[in-house]
Parts: sequence; structure tokens; C-alpha cells
Amino acid sequence: MKQWAVLLFIILSLSLSSRAYGADIESRLKALEETLLQQGKTIEEQRKVIIELKEELRNTRTEETAGTEKKPIEEPKAQKATGLFGASALTNPNISLVLNTFAYSSNLNKKELELRNIPGYTAAGIENRKGFNLDSAELFLFAPVDPYFNLYATIPVTENGAEVEEAYFVTTSLPYGFQVKGGKFKSSFGRINSQHPHAWDFVDIPLVYKAFSGPEGITEKGAQLTYLTPLPFYTLLGAEALQGENAILFGPDAKPGPHAYTLFAKASFDLTDNSTILFGPSVMAGKTKTDSVTAGAGFRGASTLYGLEFTYKWKPSKTQSIIVQSEYLYRRQNGDLENTVALTTGPLKRAQDGLYLQTVYQLNRWRAGARYDVLSLFKDDYILAGANQDFGKKPWRASGMLEFNPTEFSRIRLQYNHDKTARDGKTSQELFLQFVFGIGAHGAHPF
Amino acid sequence: MKKIILLLFISLYLAAPAFAEVKIAATLPWIGSIAGEIGKDRIAVTTLIKPNQDPHFAEAKPSMILAARKADILMYNGLDLEIGYLPRIIESSNNPKIQPGKRGNLDCSQFIEPIEKPSSVDRSMGDVHPLGNPHYHFSPKNILKVAEGMAVVFSEIDPGNAAFYRSNLQMFRDRLKKKQRLWSALPLKGKRYIAYHKLFEYLGREYGFHIQAYIEPKPGIPPSAGHIEELLELLKKTRIDAILATTTAGKKEAESLTQKTGVRSVVLPQDVGATETAKDWFGMMDEVLKALQ
Repeated sequence: MKQWAVLLFIILSLSLSSRAYGADIESRLKALEETLLQQGKTIEEQRKVIIELKEELRNTRTEETAGTEKKPIEEPKAQKATGLFGASALTNPNISLVLNTFAYSSNLNKKELELRNIPGYTAAGIENRKGFNLDSAELFLFAPVDPYFNLYATIPVTENGAEVEEAYFVTTSLPYGFQVKGGKFKSSFGRINSQHPHAWDFVDIPLVYKAFSGPEGITEKGAQLTYLTPLPFYTLLGAEALQGENAILFGPDAKPGPHAYTLFAKASFDLTDNSTILFGPSVMAGKTKTDSVTAGAGFRGASTLYGLEFTYKWKPSKTQSIIVQSEYLYRRQNGDLENTVALTTGPLKRAQDGLYLQTVYQLNRWRAGARYDVLSLFKDDYILAGANQDFGKKPWRASGMLEFNPTEFSRIRLQYNHDKTARDGKTSQELFLQFVFGIGAHGAHPF
Repeated sequence: MKKIILLLFISLYLAAPAFAEVKIAATLPWIGSIAGEIGKDRIAVTTLIKPNQDPHFAEAKPSMILAARKADILMYNGLDLEIGYLPRIIESSNNPKIQPGKRGNLDCSQFIEPIEKPSSVDRSMGDVHPLGNPHYHFSPKNILKVAEGMAVVFSEIDPGNAAFYRSNLQMFRDRLKKKQRLWSALPLKGKRYIAYHKLFEYLGREYGFHIQAYIEPKPGIPPSAGHIEELLELLKKTRIDAILATTTAGKKEAESLTQKTGVRSVVLPQDVGATETAKDWFGMMDEVLKALQ
């Protein structure tokens, strides 16, 4: 373009100067020579500029093409690495944070709640405060370590600080259907125990778990081996060796080494395309040293916890589903109860049981559920020094809940408990308004 | 008693058929259908998600874990569509062959060019797929690439039948070419639709039609009354050729829009097997493209 403009300029100026041709030829010729020389110079300068510009343009073009060439190579690679686990897991593990907070109310006063234990089962009272409660902001981290291991960590941050609730590896490359898990993890005993509190269908843990393992369930340091059989229906067999630090079931000082062991089996069928059942037995046994049996006494002995789980799920579409879930637990305990005040010791035998049965119906973004909890269902033995103690009525509880889930990352839940666990005929009417929100990496939904 | 149980277990083990075929677990029916075109009788396909289920909302059922445990190849849609359950299935399968990075872990999206990849995304935008629109199974162009990719992987895992897979791929290619000629003759250019979910974007690009609006205000978020009002306004002001729902999503909303405006609504199969005519991938495409006319 510029070249053409320059040429046009020269031609115009030449024609203009030729028109002025006339009187003093010599002086005019000189003037013409000068202008021609000057114009030649400007042409030279402009050519240089043009060459420079061309070079610049060429440079930018090669940069651009290099860029477009790189992109299609990079993109499929990025997809390969992230198509399954979301964002790139190379520099950062997958991280998510789940906020679990609730408001609590009861007809009992603060002192009554603190002393509200389950006589014959556990001396622990209710920890919830009336009004606003922060259960935790739970931090989850997970990523593959290498082609052989995945790593998971659960770090609930509460007002008392952060703790390592779970931190474990899982093998991914063992042959013949075997898998090893090691570290600190929630035991696969039963069904609800291995689920995180924010994944439960109700705010609180079922009574059987509260009575036999405490409100947090059984989380232990140890190792787990599972075997997924190649049978025509899903059958998972597993064993665990655990340190045995659960404060109610075992206790860290019961024995110096690992002193709790678990065996479990889980089987599942699809009854139809839309309905599935899952069931199986579990057993956990170990040495016990705890002062949770009753206030002012220490227990030393051995415990065995048996469990049977059953889940039925019907899910014909994303808008509708029904879950029926139940677990029966039976605990046997044998040992000595030492009264730390009177310094007397007597043999204690406990054989107690209980179950929960719950059902949840989902319609679109709403879920409604009911749960029934009972202890001392078939067996209620608390034999201290040969005499069976009578603690009163069967502890039981009925709960109802209503949930709204705006998306799978947010949940608002209202729950009512009609609680008759204190065995004294007194009822606690509890009301929860719970909020659960999750941000960050997309966790997978377990069955 | 113990002997009887032992015998029972042994007989159950033996009852499993003696197979030489390559065992494939496919998350979605269309993946199984394309795999069947390439592998025919030399492969045995188990599909994890049923045609009438929404792949966005599936759960890791134990039967899926069992199918993954027995599979030589696990094939999935990718682009985060199965993120809600597949990582768990893969880990719980205790099967080293299908772990990420192994040959038996086949992300079908690696062969395609995703569209609508957002430059920045957060969950306030709804359930947006950050790697791009994952519903490429209605795209003949991309499905051919997936079929080609499958043929390569089958040949690698089962080299004895490589020639068989190659000739099947050629047959698939020829059939697809013929079909594409028929499909591109359909008068779809310039048509405008309202759809429930972002399912037909790839197809629209290839056949020149346009999705003007969505019944979902944001992906995965059900429509509010206000949003329906906006759609009614749009239907009055602009020429919309049809309202598109699928067998699993949007039927009710589409019908009510039809009643109020008279614009016809069409219920399309969202995957292979969702309707009677959508028996395989070709059947599904025939049904969808004919219904769009």
C-alpha cells in the first residue's frame, strides 16, 4: 500500500512541476534535480520501513501458527488426564470442603441434655447446644499417588481445631479382585459406619451405633483387605485388623498392640433395572478397656459386635426414588467392672441389641424420611456380679425429616426426634434445622 | 453343611461361561452399540446405565462394580459426564486392567473435538461441564472417530482379531457414509428449536439447525415459573419449529408449552434403547433426525 502511495506522490509531483515549466529553464532544472534527489531519499527510507514492517508481520504470523499448532495437541492430552477426575490432579489433589451446620432445639434444659445418657449402654450425654451449632467444615483431599495407589484424607475442622479423621491409601493394581486399604479410616462394618455424617439421611447417627460405638462411629487406624468375588452376583468379602481405640467398644489402653478385628461380607442383586438390594453380615471383636459403661466405673474385658445390614433402593428416574435401610446390631461384652469410687470390682456381662429402620422418599428436589430406632429389642442383659440389672423401659426414638436439595451440592434439612432413650419415661423433643453445602471437587456418590 | 456351601461356590464359579471374547463394560448404551458394530461376536458388552436412566444422576450400584471387576475394557463417555459414579466404580472394581492410564480404561471423548468448552466456570452457572459439552453421541462426525479409536484399542487388546475389527470398521464407515447422505438431504438447515438440555448442539452444528433456548434455565436446574413465562414470550415472538424433550427429561414441560402455544413438541430418545426404534445407534439417529424435520 505504502509503495503505491509513494509512486502516486512522485508521479503527481512530477506532473505538477512539469506544468510549471516555462521561463527560467536552468534554475527550474536545478530545482527539479534537487527535488528528485530528495524524493529518491524518501523512497529509500520508506522502502526500509516497508521491509521492517514485513518482517514484523512475518514474525507475528509464525507465532500465531505455532500457537494454533500447539493447541490441538495439548487439548486431547488434557482430556485424557482429567476426563475422569475433574480438574488437573497433577499439581494439586482434588479438594472439597463440606460445611455441616445446624440449629438445635429441645424441650429439655441444658443440664438435662448434658446428663441425658442411655442407662445400661453409655454414660455419654447430648453434646448439641440449643441454638446454632457448627458440626464441622470438613476438608476432603484425594488423588492418585501413582499407578498403584490412591490417597484419601478427611480433615474436619471444628471450633476445637483440625483433626485427621481419615487418611488412607487404597491399592489399585492388585490382581484377582483384591484390594488393600491402610492408614486411618472408617471401618466397613455395617452400612452407615463407613458413610460420612453429611451423607447420612438424618442429622444424627442411629441409636445402635450411638450406644455401641459412640456418636462418630468406628474410625480406626489399621489395615483392610477386601476381595471382590467373580460370582454372578456382587459379593464383597473383607477383613480388617485395627488398633482398637474406639472409646466405647475397645479403648486405646486395652492392649498395647492392635486388638480389634473385623470380618464382613456384602452381597447385592438388581431385582429389576430400577431396584437393587444390598445385604450382609459383619462382626467385630476385640479387647476392651473403657470407662464409658457408667459414670465412676472402669470396665476391662472383651467385646464382640455383630451386625446385619439390609438396603433396598428403587429409583425409576432421577425425579423419584425410595430407599429402605435397616441394620441390626448385637453386642456381647464380658469382663470386670471396677468402681473407681468405692474401689470394688465385679464381673460384668452385657448382651444387648437393637436396630434402626429408615425409609426415604424422594420426589424431584424434595426428600422426606422416617426412622425408627430401638435398643434392647430381643436381648437386654446387664449382669453385674451375677444379677441382671433392670434399667427401665426399652430405649427408643422416632424421627421424621424433610429435605430440600437445590442441587446435589446443597441440602437444607428439617428433622424432628421423639426421643425416649433415657429409660425414665421422660421424652426429649428435638428439632434440627441442618444446612450442608459442598464446594470443590466432585465426590462420587456411593450406593 | 460346609461341603455343600463349598460345592455351591465351586459350581457357581464354573457356571460362569467359558469365554474367549473381550469383556467390555460400557457406561452408556450408545457406547455399547458402537462397540458392538466394531467387535460384533468377538466381544461381550455389559452396559452400566440403562437407556431410561439419566447419565447425570446415576449412582455406583454394586452390579456396576461387579461388571467393571470382570471387564477387560471399561469404556466411558468422558468430559466429566460420569464423574458422579465412575471414579468410585473403577476403584471399587479391584480390577487393575481398567484403572486410569491402563489400556483397558477407554475415555471415548479422547477421540473427539469437544465444543462449548467454557473459558471459566463455577457452580453458580449450574451443572456446567468444564471440559465442554459431553453429549457428542448425536454427532456422526465424532462417532466415526470414536469407532476408529475403538477399533485400534480392540486390536491392541485382542491382536488375533485385528483384521476382523478393521473390516468391521470399514463396514461401519461405509454404512455411515450412506446414512449421512440420507440425513443431510433432510430439510433441517435454519430450523430453530427449544430443547430441555444441551443435548443436540453437536448435531445442530453438523446439520445447520439452531437451539434457540432451553427449558432448563441453567444445566441441571429445573425451570422456574418465571423462566417458563420467558419461553412463552419467545415462542410467541419468534418462529420455533419444535420443542425438544427426551424420554428421560422435559416431557411434561414441553407438553405444557405445546398446549399453550401450539408449537409442536417432540420426544426424542436420549440414548440407544430409549425407544423401540432406537435399537442401535443408527436406529436412534434415524429416529432423531426424522423427528426434527
